[in-house]
Amino acid sequence: MDFMVLSLLVYLLGAVTFIWPKKAELVAHYFGMLCSIAASGLVAFSSLSYLLSSDSVWLIDMAWGQYTLQADGWSGAFLLITGVAGVIISIYAIDYGKGYLGSRIRALGGLWNLFLMSIVLVLIAGDAFTFIIAWEIMALVSFLLVNHESEKKKTVSAAYQYMVMTHIGTAAIMVAFYLVASAAESFSFIDMANNNLSGYMKNVAFLFAFGGFALKSGLMPLHIWLPNAHPAAPSHVSALMSGVMLKVALYGFGRFAFQFIGMDVFWYGLIVMVVGLISAFLGVLYATMEVDMKRILAYSSVENMGIIFSAFGCGMVLYSMKFPMLSVVAFTAALVHAASHSLMKGLLFMSAGCVMHATGSKNIEHMGGLARKMPYTALFTLIGSMALSSMPFTSGLVGEWLTLQSFITFAQQAGSPELRLLVVFAFIMLGLTGATALGCFVRMYGIAFLGRARTSIVEKAHEMPFFMLAGLALEAVLIVFVGVMPDFLVNLMQRVVSGSGIILMGNPLGIMWGGSGYYALYSPALIFIVFAFIGVFMVAAVYRSSTFQAKEVTWNCGTVPTSRQQYSATGFSKPLRRAFDGILNPRRRTTYLRKEHAYFGRKLHYELSIPDLFNDKLYKPLQQMLINSSSSFHRIQEGSVSIYIGYTMVAMIVVLIWGVLL
Amino acid sequence: MEYIVTSIGLSLVQGFVLLLIAPLVAGIINKVKARLQKRQGASIFQEYFDICKWWKKATILTPYTGVIFVLAPVVYFMTSFMAATMVPGFLTGQFSMGDAFIFVYILALGRFFMTLSSMDAATSFGGMGGSREIYISVLVEPAVMLAILINSIRYHSTTLSAMVIDYNEAFFTVSAVLACVAFFLVMLAENSRLPVDNPDTHLELTMIHECMTLEYSGKLLSLIHLGSYLKIVVFLALFGALYVPVEIPLALKVLLGAVLIGIVETLNNKMRLFKVRVYLGAAIVLLLLAIIAE
Repeated sequence: MDFMVLSLLVYLLGAVTFIWPKKAELVAHYFGMLCSIAASGLVAFSSLSYLLSSDSVWLIDMAWGQYTLQADGWSGAFLLITGVAGVIISIYAIDYGKGYLGSRIRALGGLWNLFLMSIVLVLIAGDAFTFIIAWEIMALVSFLLVNHESEKKKTVSAAYQYMVMTHIGTAAIMVAFYLVASAAESFSFIDMANNNLSGYMKNVAFLFAFGGFALKSGLMPLHIWLPNAHPAAPSHVSALMSGVMLKVALYGFGRFAFQFIGMDVFWYGLIVMVVGLISAFLGVLYATMEVDMKRILAYSSVENMGIIFSAFGCGMVLYSMKFPMLSVVAFTAALVHAASHSLMKGLLFMSAGCVMHATGSKNIEHMGGLARKMPYTALFTLIGSMALSSMPFTSGLVGEWLTLQSFITFAQQAGSPELRLLVVFAFIMLGLTGATALGCFVRMYGIAFLGRARTSIVEKAHEMPFFMLAGLALEAVLIVFVGVMPDFLVNLMQRVVSGSGIILMGNPLGIMWGGSGYYALYSPALIFIVFAFIGVFMVAAVYRSSTFQAKEVTWNCGTVPTSRQQYSATGFSKPLRRAFDGILNPRRRTTYLRKEHAYFGRKLHYELSIPDLFNDKLYKPLQQMLINSSSSFHRIQEGSVSIYIGYTMVAMIVVLIWGVLL
Repeated sequence: MEYIVTSIGLSLVQGFVLLLIAPLVAGIINKVKARLQKRQGASIFQEYFDICKWWKKATILTPYTGVIFVLAPVVYFMTSFMAATMVPGFLTGQFSMGDAFIFVYILALGRFFMTLSSMDAATSFGGMGGSREIYISVLVEPAVMLAILINSIRYHSTTLSAMVIDYNEAFFTVSAVLACVAFFLVMLAENSRLPVDNPDTHLELTMIHECMTLEYSGKLLSLIHLGSYLKIVVFLALFGALYVPVEIPLALKVLLGAVLIGIVETLNNKMRLFKVRVYLGAAIVLLLLAIIAE
């Protein structure tokens, strides 16, 4: 029996916590987490053996009647991401989940296992039916997980918004599958690859597939569920949703792009690329404006999915321009960045969970100086923040560098002025995104962990228990490992895209990319060695006991500073808010009591809100339109039975006449 | 393997050479400014004395700071030094650790730690500096990306040593001149010079970089200053090697660039913070035209 199927069974075993006796809740929790660690370990292990051993197309091949399970390299890459994230986040959840003792912890453990199982099932589905069923299980289970803290009103509305949005996405995906499957006259993925979709229907199928998967991966303008759902869910669930579930959407879209629809049409890739770039920049811009730690991370997920999809789109464009060899770098970039984003976003959602655990709040405006209270958490969060700002020696820069290289590769082939303009647009967006991401995470880390405590909630903060720190540490180690020695991951991912035939980019020196007279090299290991070499001397020269002798209160123009005089998170992002106010449309309301002194000591109330652009300009009008149109239907809904019978009769007659005429 | 070791050795030597001349270049800029303002000005070696003076003094810490605060100056200095080892033209040959994007992100690492440290001292000055630094960097970054893009389209590589300007091909072409002017604008913004930031002032309304370093003293302060002098030289060298389409020795280009910075700083006032986006927009438009003209 295959390991992958075994892992599905272990996940199912973990789901027995549902019917565990209530007295032994804690044991149920441990059992559930143990199952998910074991099963995810199996998934990671066997996916690694798929990726390393051979490049045969179908690695699992099983069937029960209509339902088939199959996996190839493309599934293998995502199975690896799922397995690694599953193991690490489950370890974290051993301690984190204890916070839910007495509030449906058995259901949480069971759903956790089912969620992981459904993700694995999506990735190894071999036909459209299995895929859709697994996809639907994934949507329902994640809805229940988001809704876990259903005592809070906000959670419920976020969960239902997620439910509605994700089902719109599922509907679009079903239409896309239906179009392809009916053209191929089979639901099996192998047969669907040989479909004979005509040009027009192909376009429609592509648009539905992209719309559906873009919604699930949170690309703008279909992202509005994401910044609500991720903060509402328990932290380990949001880590898994952001780290893995969003990538599963990339998996599905890749299936369509590589196998079912093809990438011959230029504008397919163009759309994916442009939507990705816009999502990347707007996502990180909104992230920089938020003060809720988890909403920052959620918007940052929109950004990173944007980068991943833009790289993927760049690959599609290169492919359609008849450069299949060059497109390898772009698809590899998408996969590597997906893997590294799964690591870093997993880490940061988990550390957001730690901060909530310690302070009971998600609002960074109330924090400050957490690094003194929880030094290890602070260290790991720093590594995660560095990775998301794509700093050197973290996995973030590896993905970012490959993405930039794929766009440079595109620029090499873009001769005409129109394409040049597109390239310029892409680089402006990537530049803005990169720099704003740095600002966003400097702000988040600096306000929450550095400086002085802004409110008393920080006073009771404490360091985290062992397993939570272990989860953070594992992610941090992986991030730095991939960041310094990226060749292993890059080669694994490249082999998925290109097969083992061509020269691999990763080598002990670093990553090398070239083709048609072009070359580039990134050798983090060498830079790291030089950096460490100088660093040793610098540390020896600077950090002597004689260096730091005196302590003196911070200069504050002659007064003793209070902690309220520190920059706030909102203040920190003010220049950016002003620079991009055309997009952000911040709404300010200032009210003060006129009766008091006009200039000094008056009571002031200031309110700032930054509504989501698409929520205001797209969804609200749409909602209004729906309500208006349904109220016009109201007129024919009189409520009297005889009228409804009349309607039925009229419908019958129309059908009869139609039948006679045709 | 031997080849790599030699190259790394040469890069390190180059880094030290640039480090040695960095305070001198800063001194030259100040001297030019002083002479243009009809002042005698300090000696061009003054920056060496300053660095030595700060190095000898005690470092005073505030009770609110943590590890980041004492770590940041070292990281900042080291990133400037790493950038100095990557600049093409002096000693480095064909093999170079320096990819253009990595060059940008190495410098970004320094900025990451400096802005973090600005928040660690728990005062409004620091946060103000950090916030403005982020604002400027967001506006500069697209221009930097386009500047890299234009040379990588021309020379088919993003390795800095391969992107050195080819005088036969790009001798005063439209695109080369536009890129040269644009990169000069970018350079001023990246190094916190006038008209974006005023390096001479300590007025809270105007300063950006100085805001962040306000709480530093002693060894840490001297490291920060050395790092920022080094950063100017690195950018001048990069400017000369990659973008100035005139065939003169690189050292002369660095010197002339320093004089030019002095002149520009004398002729211009600091612009309003929110006008900077227009200034950098101009740089972006110039680069866009250069790329279309390429």
